[in-house]
Parts: sequence; C-alpha cells; structure tokens
Amino acid sequence: MSKVIVCDGNEAAAWGACLSRPDMVAVYPITPQSSLVEYLAKFIAEGKMTADLVDVEGEHSVLSVLHGACLAGARTYSATSAQGLAFMFEPYFRTPSLRMPMVVSLVTRDAVSPTCVWGGQQDAMTVKEVGWIHMYCETQQEILDTIPIAYKVAEHPDVMLPVNVNHDGNYLSYGVARVELPDQEIVDSFLGEKNVNWHACLDPERPMAVDPLTGGAGGIGPSTFVKYRKGQCSGMQMALQVIEEAHADWGKRTGRYWSPLIEEYRMEDAEVALVTIGSMTGAAKDAVDEARLDGRKVGIVKIKTFRPFPVQRIAKALSKVRAIGVVDRAVNFGWNSGPVFQEVLGALYHLPVRIPAMSFIGGLAGADITVEHFARAIDRTNRLAAGEAATLPVWLNEND
Amino acid sequence: MGAAFDTIAFKASLCDGCGDCMTTCSKVKQGASRISIVPGAAEAVFELAICRQCGDPKCAMVCPSGALTKDGGSGVIGWNSDKCIDCLLCTAGCAYGGIAVDQSVSRVAKCDQCDGDPECVKACPTGALEFRKAGSIYKEYGEREDLFVPGLSGCLGCNSELIMRHAMRKIGRNSVLATPPGCIPGMGSVGYNGKTGTKVPVFHPLLTNTASMLAGIRRYYDKIGRKDIVVMALAGDGGTADCGFHAVSGAAERGEKILYVCVDNEGYMNTGMQRSGTTPYGSWTSTTPVGEHMKGKTQDAKNLPMIMAAHKCRYVATASTGYMEDLYEKLDKAIEASFEGFSYLHIYSPCPTGWRIPSSKVIDACRLSVETNFVTLWEYTPQTGIRFTRSPDNALPITAYVKMIGKYRHLSQDQLDHIQTKVDEQVALLRIMAAESPPPPPAHRQPAAPAASPAPAIGGDASQPPVRREISRN
Amino acid sequence: MPEAKYLLVGSSHAALEALRSIRHFDPDGSMAMITRDQQLPYSPTILPYVVSGRSKPEAVLLRDEAFFEANACTFAPNAVATGLDAKTRSVTLASGESWRYERLLIATGAAPAIPPVKGIETVRFHVLRSLDDAQGLRTAMGGARHAVVLGAGLVGLHAAENMAEAGLSVTVVEMQNHVLPGYFDAKASERIESAFIGHGVKLLLGCKVVAVEPRDGGHSCAVHLEDGKVLQADLLLVATGVKPVTDWLAGSGVDLDRGVLVDETMRTTAPDVWAAGDVAQATDFHTGKRALIGIIPTAVDQGRIAGQGMAGDTYQKAYPGGIPVNTYRFFGRVALSIGQAAASDGVEVSEREDGGYRRLVMSDNRLIGYASIDEPFDVGIMGELIRRKVDLSPVMDAFIARPVETGRRLMSEQWR
Repeated sequence: MSKVIVCDGNEAAAWGACLSRPDMVAVYPITPQSSLVEYLAKFIAEGKMTADLVDVEGEHSVLSVLHGACLAGARTYSATSAQGLAFMFEPYFRTPSLRMPMVVSLVTRDAVSPTCVWGGQQDAMTVKEVGWIHMYCETQQEILDTIPIAYKVAEHPDVMLPVNVNHDGNYLSYGVARVELPDQEIVDSFLGEKNVNWHACLDPERPMAVDPLTGGAGGIGPSTFVKYRKGQCSGMQMALQVIEEAHADWGKRTGRYWSPLIEEYRMEDAEVALVTIGSMTGAAKDAVDEARLDGRKVGIVKIKTFRPFPVQRIAKALSKVRAIGVVDRAVNFGWNSGPVFQEVLGALYHLPVRIPAMSFIGGLAGADITVEHFARAIDRTNRLAAGEAATLPVWLNEND
Repeated sequence: MGAAFDTIAFKASLCDGCGDCMTTCSKVKQGASRISIVPGAAEAVFELAICRQCGDPKCAMVCPSGALTKDGGSGVIGWNSDKCIDCLLCTAGCAYGGIAVDQSVSRVAKCDQCDGDPECVKACPTGALEFRKAGSIYKEYGEREDLFVPGLSGCLGCNSELIMRHAMRKIGRNSVLATPPGCIPGMGSVGYNGKTGTKVPVFHPLLTNTASMLAGIRRYYDKIGRKDIVVMALAGDGGTADCGFHAVSGAAERGEKILYVCVDNEGYMNTGMQRSGTTPYGSWTSTTPVGEHMKGKTQDAKNLPMIMAAHKCRYVATASTGYMEDLYEKLDKAIEASFEGFSYLHIYSPCPTGWRIPSSKVIDACRLSVETNFVTLWEYTPQTGIRFTRSPDNALPITAYVKMIGKYRHLSQDQLDHIQTKVDEQVALLRIMAAESPPPPPAHRQPAAPAASPAPAIGGDASQPPVRREISRN
Repeated sequence: MPEAKYLLVGSSHAALEALRSIRHFDPDGSMAMITRDQQLPYSPTILPYVVSGRSKPEAVLLRDEAFFEANACTFAPNAVATGLDAKTRSVTLASGESWRYERLLIATGAAPAIPPVKGIETVRFHVLRSLDDAQGLRTAMGGARHAVVLGAGLVGLHAAENMAEAGLSVTVVEMQNHVLPGYFDAKASERIESAFIGHGVKLLLGCKVVAVEPRDGGHSCAVHLEDGKVLQADLLLVATGVKPVTDWLAGSGVDLDRGVLVDETMRTTAPDVWAAGDVAQATDFHTGKRALIGIIPTAVDQGRIAGQGMAGDTYQKAYPGGIPVNTYRFFGRVALSIGQAAASDGVEVSEREDGGYRRLVMSDNRLIGYASIDEPFDVGIMGELIRRKVDLSPVMDAFIARPVETGRRLMSEQWR
C-alpha cells in the first residue's frame, strides 16, 4: 500500500531521488533548491537513503564528482538552480556528450540580473541546446514520479543521456500538496538492474581511454567527431519513444499515468489553444474551464518533455486550431518572444496550414500567472483567431 | 638493459672533515677505515677516497686469484678473503685508492657498502655523504611494465614524461588516472581519435574539475568495496593552482582519498608557455614577455604545496626528478596516504621548451633548483608537520640556477636580488614551520623506521590501507 | 673446420679482458678462446701460492663454464697453436685441426726461458709457469731437502720463500748483484735480501752458473758456479725469466722482435691480427720504445684495447704505454714499486728510511717512480700521477711528506 504524505515539491523530488536509490548525491545549496538537498541529507542521515552524500565546494564540483562516480558505475543525483547551473555549465556541457545517464533536478529560477532569487524558467531554457533531456513537472506528485521515470529513460541503452527533471521554484518548490509515496519494491522493479557505464568507464579491470582528443577530420575515420555527435542526436530522438514507454510502465505499476511528452487538455474541439509548460498549467486549466463556461472553445497543450522536443505530437495536437497563444516563463533574447513560442513555431512548420500564434511572457522572478492573466491570454488569442494582427509579446505581469 | 646500482655520493662542499665516517667505518669493520677523507687544496676543504664500485672494475680484472667480483645484484665489488693471496695487485688496478692495505692485518680492505646500509653515511653529521639509491630504483622499476605507449609526442627531454612513466611503473595497472588538459594529454596520455596512450583507465577531466571527478570515482569504488585502486591525477600547475584550485581545495578539505600529483612546470606550457599562478617572479612567458615596458612576470609564484599543507592533507610533499630516491620514497608514502585521505605530491618539473634550457640540462636544472633552495624538498603530515627531506643548509646562490635557465636571461641585478630575497624568505618560513614540528630525523638521513618514529607513520594507525592487488598484464 | 668471428688464442688476463670488451660492444658475434692449458683460465701469478699450498688448484680458476656459456664463447682447452696463416685466416693446432677466424687475438703469453747452461738438458729441473708445473713442484718439495733456485726474480723468490718455509735448505743463485733487479733500487733490495737471509735462505748474488750435471742416478744434481763452488741439489728450479710464446708465428707475416710487435692499438703487422699480454711487445711508457712488460695490469690494458679494436668499438683509446708495477709480499711484508722506481741518473730522488722505506723518483716535478718496503701506498693512484704526468710543484712539500694522503687528494680533485 502506498503511503500518503503532505509535502512541498522539493521534498517530493527528494523522495523521488530516494526511491530511485542513487549511489551518490552531490549537493551545494542554492535558493530555491536548498531544502531539497537538506531533505536528501536528512534522508541519508536517517538511513532512508544509502547514497554517498558529497557536500562539495560548488556546483562545478557537484557535477564533476558525479561525473567521476558515473564513470565508475554509480547512479547519481543532484539538484540546482539558476546561478548554480551557470557555475555548473562547464561539466554540464560535457555530461550528455560523454553519455552519462544521471538525473539532476532543476528547481527553476530566474537569472540575475537584476538580482532575484525567485521562480522563472530562464535558467533551464538557457541550457536547452546542451543535450540534456528536459522534463517539466506540473505538480508535486509528478515531480516525485518523474524522477524514477527519468532514471529509466536516462539509463536506457538506446538513450544514455542525462535528464533534468524541472520544477518551478517557489510555486512548486515550496508549495505543499498531497503526495503518494510508492512502495520501494514498485520503484525497484520498475528500474530493474542498474546499467550505468556500459559504454564508457574508468575501471582497471577493463581499461580504456575516456575522451581522447577527437577531431572532425582525420584520425581513425574522416568523421570521428561527427559520428559521436550523430550518436548523441540519435539517442535524443530515441528518447521520445523510451519516455512514452517509461511513463506507461510507471502508470501500470502505480496507477498514475502522466502524459509523457505533451498533455492535451480539452483539445478535442478546441478552436484556440494555449501552450503551457510547468506549474502554470494548473491556473491555465482553471482559466480554460471558465472560458468553456462562456462557450469559448479553448484547450491547452502542456509540454512535459521539452527536450527532445516532441515536434510531431505538438504539430498534430495544434493542427486543428485557428490561433495559438504560447505562455513562457522565460525570454528568448533576440527573438523578442518566449523560447517555447519559438519552439512551437518550429513545430507548426510541419503543418500544411499557417496558424497565427502569439507569445505571452509571464511569471518572471516569482511573479504569479493567475487565472485572470490566462483569461486575458485566451481573450487575446481569440482575437487573433478572429483576424486581429499579432503584436509584440504580451508581458502578462507588466502592470502588476 | 644495463645495470644500475646504489652509490655513496660525496658532496665536498658539505664536508667539514670531522672524520666521523672514518671512525665509524673503522669501528664497524674492526680495522682500517675503508673510507678516507683527506685535507684538500684549501683550508676546510676535504677530499675523499673510497671504492667507486666501478662498472668495469680493474681491481677485479687484475686479480690473479679471482678474489674480487662485482655482485650483479648490489653492484658491490666483493672481496673473498679465502681466495685472496694478498698479492696487492688490486691496489695497482685501482686509480681511486678504493682498495688499500689495512696495515693492521696486512691485507687489503675495501668498502662493501655495509650490505646496503652504509654506516659512514649514517654517521655523517653534515650530509656530505649520501647513499643514493637511484640504482636500485632503476633496477626495481626498470623491469616493471611501462604503462604508456612508447611513442608519446612530448618535447625532447620532457621531464613530465619522465615523471609519468616513473610514477605509473610504480603505481601499476590497478589504478585510474586523470590527466587534465595540458602537456600530459597533449603528448598523448589519453590518445587521439579513439586510441589510447595508456594501459590503465585514463581520462581527460576538465582543466577545472580533476580533483572532483577523482573524488567521485574513489568514493564509488570505496562504496562497492574496491578499495585497492589508486585513484590519481597527473595534473599541471595551472589546472591545479589556478582554475581548478576550487576542486583541489574542496577535495582536500573533505579528505577525499585520492593521489594528486601536480607536475609543476611553472606555466601553461602546452598552450604556448603562458603565465600561471606558479610562474616565478621575473620569468619570461608568452604573456609576461620581455620588452621595454615589461621584464617578465612581476609577481611571485604562489607556493601551492604550502597551501596544501594548510589544508591538513593526509600527506603533502615536494619532489624533484633530480632526486629520484627522494621522489620514490615520497611516491610510496603518497600512494599509501591516498587510501586514507587527500595525498598531494608537488613535483617541480623544468620544461626544456618553455624555459629555454637544453634538453640535456633538465636534470641539472632540477638539481640546481634544489641546491639553490629555489625549490625545497620537504614533506608534511598532520602528525609530524613539515620536515625537510633534504637540508636547505649550505645552499648555492640562486644565480647558479637562474643563469642556466633561458627564461631568466634578461634579469637585472635588482630582479635577481628580488628572487634571492624571496627564496630566502620562503626558506626562513619553512624553517620556522619545520622547527616547530616534532623533532625530525636529520634532513639528509633516511626517515626513521615507523617503530622509532616519534609520531605514527603514514598508514600506521588503526585503519590499515588495503592490500593492493595488481592487475596482471594482458 | 671450426670458425669464429673472434678467435682468442690464450686464456689468461689479456684474453679474458679482450673477451669482456668485445662482448661489451658486440653481444652476438661468434667467439672462441683456445688455450694450450688443460684447465679453465687461471693466472700464472697464482702459481707460487699453489706451490705453498695456500691456494688449492681447483680454487684458482678465474672463470667457470657458465661464464663462457653466458658470454657465448666456445672454450677449447688442450689446444696448442702451432701455426698461423694470416692469408687464409686460420690457426693450426698440434692436433692437426684448424680454426678459421675473422679477427684474431694472439695472447699466448710467455714460457720459461731456459738459460744456456751446460748440461741443463741432462738434469731433472723444475720451472713454474703452469698449474701442472706448480703441482709438480709442490710434490717434489715434499721429498727434497736441498733446493737450488736459479734466478732471484719474482718467481724464484716466491718459490725460495715457500721452500724455506717448508723446511728445505734453499740457495738462490742470481747473476745480478741484487734481488728483483729493475723493480727496486739497491737499498730496497737489501731489505728484502736480509729478510731472506734471516729466514735461512742462501743468496748467491752476482753469481753465475756455468754447468749442471746429474748425480745420484738423476735424483739430484750438482750445480757448478763460476767461482768453482759446487752446490748439491735434489730440487732444481729454473726461474731465470720468461720469453713470449711466438714459435708458432714463424713465417705467418706477423712481425716479431722479442715478442709480437704491436702498435698503440695492439694491432700486429698482419691484417686483422691483434696481440696482447706477455706475448706482446708494446710501447713502454717511459722510453716510448717497444718493450716486454709482462705484468697483469699491462695485460689487462692491452687486452681491453685489442678487444675494442677487434669489435670495432669507437671508444677505443690508444695504449698510453706500459708502466712496470710490482706488488711483492715476502715473509708477510710488503714491497711495492711502480714506474722508474730504481732510476738514479738525471732524476730527483726522495728517500725515507724511518721504519719503512720509501723512494720517490721525480723528474721535472713529476712523479716517474715510487717504491716502498713495509709502507704500503695506493699503487694505482701513483700510476695515474705518472701516466697523467701531473705537475706536483704546487703540492711538492706535502707530497714528499705525505705521499699517500696527497695522492688521494690529487686523485679526488683531478679524476674523481
């Protein structure tokens, strides 16, 4: 029988990590992630987790220590935010290219400056091109459940890539909800045998050189470097299917079926659609429900898996609507829009028709995107569907 | 392969003519001393006559009775008293006064190195006599497997290559080796395009995260019970002292059980000889060039090993390839300490290319750097504090070292004075720290056996290091 | 026909050193050492100690079979060379067998020189050059009472001492006025002579044997001296010197004088033939002329140079010239000499006679000779001072006063 607790998102993530039985966690505190690593430390102190806890001197070493452990065969976990992620960037960049299957939670936060310590997705969105799998959670329960799922995906031989399981700082990290803790046996049987470093290892029993200097030309083949890059891309694409399988498997074992790539909410007959990501989706759903009461046919496509980007699934889900409003919690500098907006536009290119779309940016630096904000977004998207021209991005919290 | 043997070395500049060596020899051998110190050309200068244990001993070749033979194991020319007919022809064969008539018994007598533990050396109070064990090191490790490919692409005379090959021969296959970006992987330790340069598991960490990655490796192997693996770095000074220092410092503070060897060539030599935090004052580098407005580096080097000692590491030592027996002893201790905590070995490593010295002079540079105190050889444990393993007494002026290094060619007298002052300050500080430590054995002598040591030796406490298993060749 | 790239004829110090230096440079070239001896290599210098019983015959061998195996050298004893054909590069043996070579070392040493004394062929006498000789002499000593030794060189005196210590009455007959002529000056020789006299040995110096004849059915003999005296001997030892074994080289194209003439690289006049050791007549350091200096240190030097030349070792250095050396023990005492230790004309001599005896011979502030009795010195160091012609003027007083200490200092300063 599963146990039910009431906890915030950081504790839920810690429970997700705990149940996944990592061999090592490396930690360095940063708001709004700090309580997450405190929970990990507490679990280890209490004996709930047997992982080796490494309190390192900075995020750069958080990931570096885990690199070493991973190459020795360990399952590893950590969490960070914003400036921590920035400091971690050098080893972060290398994690997927060395195909290290680890899971790191990003408790998303806006990036300085101006100095802020509150939620936003600028940190995670900034590293979307590095090669990690990114999954965004909507609820505390989904955070907990997604972490074992992420290990299953990361360690899959066809994937072998690191996964960021992201949850919004403040709203999810500190927000409290009812959470079911699955039995350890369920998670154990779900994850099966650990298979971490079959491809690259540092083991005197089977010595190899990990990461020799490799050029784009010459050497053992004309395209050695290309071969590695193509393999990495292929792992990323394979992940689309593996993510779906893993979610289905988890659902079968726990009864909780999470949408693996995208969730379509009231999209069956929708004429306009909002695209959301992360915890904002709850408020968006309320706004959609209210709009439906008014007779407006509005639906939501929530993105869970942002990397790999589920291009076909998104294109298909949006193919029937007349206008799209994409709500971002980050900025894509240079496009004067949100980053998710740009990604969605790319997916829509696969459709035979051109659907008008608009970018809404909100929830920066801990600001709330309320039901009312979404109602305004729905309103504006409806006008777009009615033929009104698209404008520059709408800053939802501009006048708050 | 040729043979090499240990030898009793004499440093005339340290000899004060006390004669303790002769008294001791005479007492131990109950006859005439086989070592002879004689007055030299000037007041307080002394010279030595002793058997050189020649490679092609003419004493043995002229012996009509076969009483003199060179031992293939120790290299000592042994005298068989039963076979000897006392004809004294050997004294005509020796040009060094190394085999002479002991008038008390009217027979010849010669040095036998006291079965590998010469009493004269132990009796010498000034360090003028030294028992150099490079020969037995060479013999012991020369036979061991070289764990790098024969064709590493280092510069001619590369000291780092010497360190790599020596260290890994000693450490063996049951190890994981990090070689962060720099000359060592630059010359091919991790190989190119999918081919390795090393027979042990080897990798490029980032320049900045070597110690952290090693910590992760060690911790996991410890967790799964594989505690006998040496987890180590052969890292440069830049990655250690500058951009990777946070990781080194953090790992040291946490007591991560790793062996961190810093090969200090005083700059970023692999990328074209740029300045680092360990580049000494006055050095020419490609980013501290010499011109009308700049005369080399204007800041002093940071003393990284002292910084590491301040971390209270399990073991910290400095070493030089000019003193291989010292280096090997420290490597042994460092390996052992790496099973207990953070173990840091700082090897000063002249770079013929970047320092502009002839490749044939690299070892000379090593020795002179030590003889001038530009580099000091010491070790540290939390229990014993800092202890000189070679006395800094009677140092030569730093000009003796600096003048042979091309990167100092431009130095003015003021700059030379600055370097001398800083070297003197540094030695003075180390002396204070060493003096405050528990009494060490004299600097030039062998470290005392653990039983006689005033404090527990490395690994001498309850938590014994694991018995190491060697991975066989394949 | 057996063949070897390197053929070494002879098996004592010169040949052994040549073997070593060849192998130092060429570990693989085929090599053979052939010798007229029956045994593995030994030194003729050891023989007096075999006679005295101090050294057991089986314990004097300088090398064992494993040595030859390890050095890939065929060792062939009982091989008496009888002829050399330098054109066909072959050495003929008494057995009729021939050895082919590419490079040849002549190191056949020397054999006792038998003086042209009337009747010598009619009497039974001993010589001392081989292990067989030594064992024969030792056996003969056991049954003899009156021994006569012809010659007061090293061999004669060693044997005389041995026989006197064994209880025989011993008379030594020497043509020269002092024992060990050439090595020691008169004062030094007198010290040695008085020791012999003190031990009951009769020394007949400046005395010539004119004839010998058998007595007692050949079991003993009568030795007739120039002055008409007659000595009765039941043991006669002829120790009047040695001569190089060159008889087998007649007509070979190898130029001979008293020995085999060699240049400063030990080459003979025949192509690819070298010579070293007692058989070679090489440069004398002092005179610059070619002379016989039949001592072990020169044999070793020459053997090394010859071996290097044979192997083509470019580290070969020219022979600096032989310097006489004598390290002599008598009745437990020590007599040493090196260089022109007995010279007196045109040289500066410093002598000391307090207790021990010491004689330093200088020329132009350089040491050219050194002899001592009962006062050992570093013979090798003095040899180097002579060879290097070290100018002693800055240290002359110290050297005269304390030659051993000063010699060590000079060594340490100059060639440590």
